[in-house]
Amino acid sequence: MSKKNLVITSITLTSIVLGLIISLGVLGPIPLTSIRPLGLFYALFMANRNITIEVFPLIVNPGNFWAASTEAITAILWDYRGLDTLFETSVFFFAIIGSIALFRFTEKEEHEIRKKTHENHASEGKYLGLSLITKTITKIILFTIIVVSAAIALHGQLTPGGGFQGGSAFAVAPLLAIAALSRFYLDDIGFKKNTMLLLRTMGLLIIALLAIIPVVAGIGSWQAYIMQNQPKEWAIIQLFPPKGLGVLLGSLVYYNIAELLAVGAGFTIIFILLSIPEEFYKKIIEKEGVEHG
Amino acid sequence: MDEVILRFLWIYTWFVLIATIGLGLYGIAVKPNMLKKIISLTILGDTANVFMIYVGYRAVYPIKPPVLWTMNPSKEVLENFASQITDPVPPALVITAIVINMAITILITFLAIQAYRLYGTLDSRKISKLRG
Amino acid sequence: MIPILHLSLISIVLTLGMVFAYLAISERDLLKAIVYSAGQAAMYVIAFYLLMAPDIVLAYAAVGVGVYSAVMIIAVKKTERYEKP
Repeated sequence: MSKKNLVITSITLTSIVLGLIISLGVLGPIPLTSIRPLGLFYALFMANRNITIEVFPLIVNPGNFWAASTEAITAILWDYRGLDTLFETSVFFFAIIGSIALFRFTEKEEHEIRKKTHENHASEGKYLGLSLITKTITKIILFTIIVVSAAIALHGQLTPGGGFQGGSAFAVAPLLAIAALSRFYLDDIGFKKNTMLLLRTMGLLIIALLAIIPVVAGIGSWQAYIMQNQPKEWAIIQLFPPKGLGVLLGSLVYYNIAELLAVGAGFTIIFILLSIPEEFYKKIIEKEGVEHG
Repeated sequence: MDEVILRFLWIYTWFVLIATIGLGLYGIAVKPNMLKKIISLTILGDTANVFMIYVGYRAVYPIKPPVLWTMNPSKEVLENFASQITDPVPPALVITAIVINMAITILITFLAIQAYRLYGTLDSRKISKLRG
Repeated sequence: MIPILHLSLISIVLTLGMVFAYLAISERDLLKAIVYSAGQAAMYVIAFYLLMAPDIVLAYAAVGVGVYSAVMIIAVKKTERYEKP
């Protein structure tokens, strides 16, 4: 057991050394009372179109850094470091592609398992899912969750929230439906695996298109930039109206909707895959083993 | 006196966070069960996220999240805003980290389930001894 | 005075989170370990709220308490419940 003790000792020593180094003030004065210049820059210029601020004397035209958002975090996510977020979304995309590759099955096999489950339940005289009262209330709650997640995503540029947050909130809906109403309910209301795959591919494609559209529209004039989200002062091509319906719009709201589609549909696929019983997969693995020797 | 208490609390919280990260590392390195390793990994990742948010915190009052309350701010509003908010950069980094962390966690959980189907065990010592 | 109150609340919540993390890692029954892990996630949600990051609260409350626990519980159901020493 000396190996285990070695691991424990080294982890403890590293923790103590790290704690001492940080408490000596490596990460800034302790405790921090002033805000860092980078964070201050984003916070001051995201909704500011015309006020020059003394803290940043070099910036004479603040409209160039305008992000049409009153919330600094969404502004940073989809404007100041938008390309970064696009690629992070694609990491999420490929992780779910990997999960689907592991838990693969054809539509014919899915149809078989559905028929068999219904037969089993009919022969034992049972219903799928919980009691009728629970089912009705769950349906109401499902509707509420979807509305709330859409509200979180659509208000992303004004209040705390956004595509990621809305998508995470949406993820609870398929989970609840599978637990209370059985997984065939998701199929019946159209939340099939392939539909969800299509939806999340669409979400990623919308994000990519929104990033490229300004460049395509600006060919010849050389006044547009990739992921040029907001109508900046100096740009000739100004695609996304900054105001509409009485609130700030910009392009952030479109990115948030696309992100909600990508994240929410991705989670639905994961729960559909997880809800399929284990005997079904064992049969598929055995069959593949026979086919490939 | 206030200064000393603030400093003590600040350093104490750092030590708590680093100890939790150490616990997560211990779980990943020493525990043999795959699912236990994944639980430890989620604890490690979440603590790293809290760590990052804690770097952006300010010990002032009043303190507010970086959300502006008007769409056309005047100069006074902006100065007032700058004196009250937390740093917006760490949350912007953490929000993607949470979603990516979760995607990766789900992928490894699926891999662990697949390993159990093929080998009939979740013990990493037994899986590492398998050949072919 | 108020920053001290704020920081002490944060330190209490994070200490509770550390206790839950210890329980989750030392527990041999995986279902109990998942419940402790969800408790740790709930503590971190409160910590994020106190640290003034409402965006993170919205995302992490659903992910940390809901999705992680659900996926792990289904995984335990599909594999085995007890961790062998």
